[in-house]
Amino acid sequence: MLPQLILNSIIAGAIYTLVALGFNLIYGATKFFNLAHGIIAAIGGYAVFYFAKTLGLDVYVAIILGVALAGLVGFGLDKFIYLPLRRRKASNMVLLVASLGAMTALQAVIAILFSSQFKTLSGNIGTQKLFTILGGVITQTQLVILLSAALVMAGLVAFLYKTQFGKTVRAISDDEEVARIIGINTNKIIGYVFFIGSAITGFTGILVGFDVGIEPTMGLSLLLKGVIASIVGGAGNIYGGVLGAFLLGFVENFGIWKISGEWKDAIAFALLITFLIFRPRGIMNK
Amino acid sequence: MEYLIHLAILFAIYAILGVSLNLVVGYTGLLSVTHAAFYGVGAYTTAIFLTKSGVGFFSSLILGIAIAVAVSFLIGVVLSKFKGDYYALGTFGFNTIVFAVFLNWQNLTGGPLGIPGISKPELFGINFANNFNFMVLALIFLVLIYFASRFVANSSFGRVLKAIRQDETAIAVFGYNTLYFKLVIFVISAAMAAVAGSLFASYITFIDPSGFQLTESMFILAIIILGGLANLRGSILGALFLILLPEILRFVGFPSDIEAQMRQVVYGIILILLMLYRPQGLIGEYKL
Repeated sequence: MLPQLILNSIIAGAIYTLVALGFNLIYGATKFFNLAHGIIAAIGGYAVFYFAKTLGLDVYVAIILGVALAGLVGFGLDKFIYLPLRRRKASNMVLLVASLGAMTALQAVIAILFSSQFKTLSGNIGTQKLFTILGGVITQTQLVILLSAALVMAGLVAFLYKTQFGKTVRAISDDEEVARIIGINTNKIIGYVFFIGSAITGFTGILVGFDVGIEPTMGLSLLLKGVIASIVGGAGNIYGGVLGAFLLGFVENFGIWKISGEWKDAIAFALLITFLIFRPRGIMNK
Repeated sequence: MEYLIHLAILFAIYAILGVSLNLVVGYTGLLSVTHAAFYGVGAYTTAIFLTKSGVGFFSSLILGIAIAVAVSFLIGVVLSKFKGDYYALGTFGFNTIVFAVFLNWQNLTGGPLGIPGISKPELFGINFANNFNFMVLALIFLVLIYFASRFVANSSFGRVLKAIRQDETAIAVFGYNTLYFKLVIFVISAAMAAVAGSLFASYITFIDPSGFQLTESMFILAIIILGGLANLRGSILGALFLILLPEILRFVGFPSDIEAQMRQVVYGIILILLMLYRPQGLIGEYKL
């Protein structure tokens, strides 16, 4: 029981890490809570469902298309909604409500196109390869999730700290005003940040789709977990997001050790509220 | 005619929710997305007392208000410490937690299956099982709550709330205990939401947890943002608009499951367009 619980916590932590990475990247650059971020995960998942199962494309091609589409939708949201609002110096609350609207509308559009029914991406559920690690069972998909989380995180860190483009992104995260003064086209860079962050989240949605399945509401729950992980770890801080994600994964899974799994979300939010009261800046931020 | 009465009752319930939420979001400037939790507390209290004990509707209504006051007090003590978008996130959390209680406290709430067979009120020989009578009852409650809210908003207490909205630090410097004001208005607003919940449970005669999720709170928020923040008539206008709008969609002739989703699409787009072009809503006095 215990090894399985630890394994489940780590898998959940890896998924939340992926959501938190994308969310934190965007939050760092824009400083507002983009609630439409979660629905991007659903868009990724449903895109793969459409390309692979309805059109019958190769699964890997479908995944690449799904990631690209997720990135484009995120880019589009910024271009047509958030950017005009930022130009008008709208408050964070206005941006938050606008993203709420975008989330509601997109989620419903997905439900209209694909119905609200639960769907699964992997056609061979049950025949998946199982691995036993220290007495706990893990599926092949879950192994891919763990690997992806590690790779995406390493990639993002390398990107942010080793490339010129990454440096400009960090400059904007530090202070957008100053970044603009020294000649960085901040709005253009933020557009790219939206693309990258959304692509990561779209990829997460696809992985979740292969692991458990997809439904239109998956975005909201993934988003809330990602937000909780980010805040608990330290909003806008890449490493903080990862730390928060694994803390959340463990607290959640150990929390339901003795009680019904339906309490998971409540436990996650109890963790958030505890942090908001005692350490609102998160673990990593000063 | 029955259909119009049905719409009028729904309108009254959502107008009560809108007016009461506006006290917190519009007047005090706290973006609360947990109103459906107290709406649910009222609905569940009425449902449980009417189906499991001999208590009448009006007593259950009072009990619902009392429980909502207690719950919102506990939540408000924590929430009042937050500001801005962190306040909004905190309310997300509490709505989710209260929803989890509705869903998991099986012996009391019936879990996901909900509570069927809730009876309708009767008072002084007037039977409110008649929908017309029920509509009158709901509208009377709306009028009462509207005037109570207007009284609160226009009182000196209300002026402090508006000051908190403009600059919490400044008003705190003048010696006002802002935490206390934020807490009290949150509790008042929750008590009013419980009234709407009691009416809803008794009118529909069946409730389940799905009606009191985060998405319901977002819908109520859409009502007041559309109508206009810090304007109580705006909330009534917003409720009228968002209750009638889906009915227009119905006449367009979508199948019912698509119609429900179309409604969500419309709410979402309305929110985006409002934020882009008219952040103060139709007749609001305050922009987010």
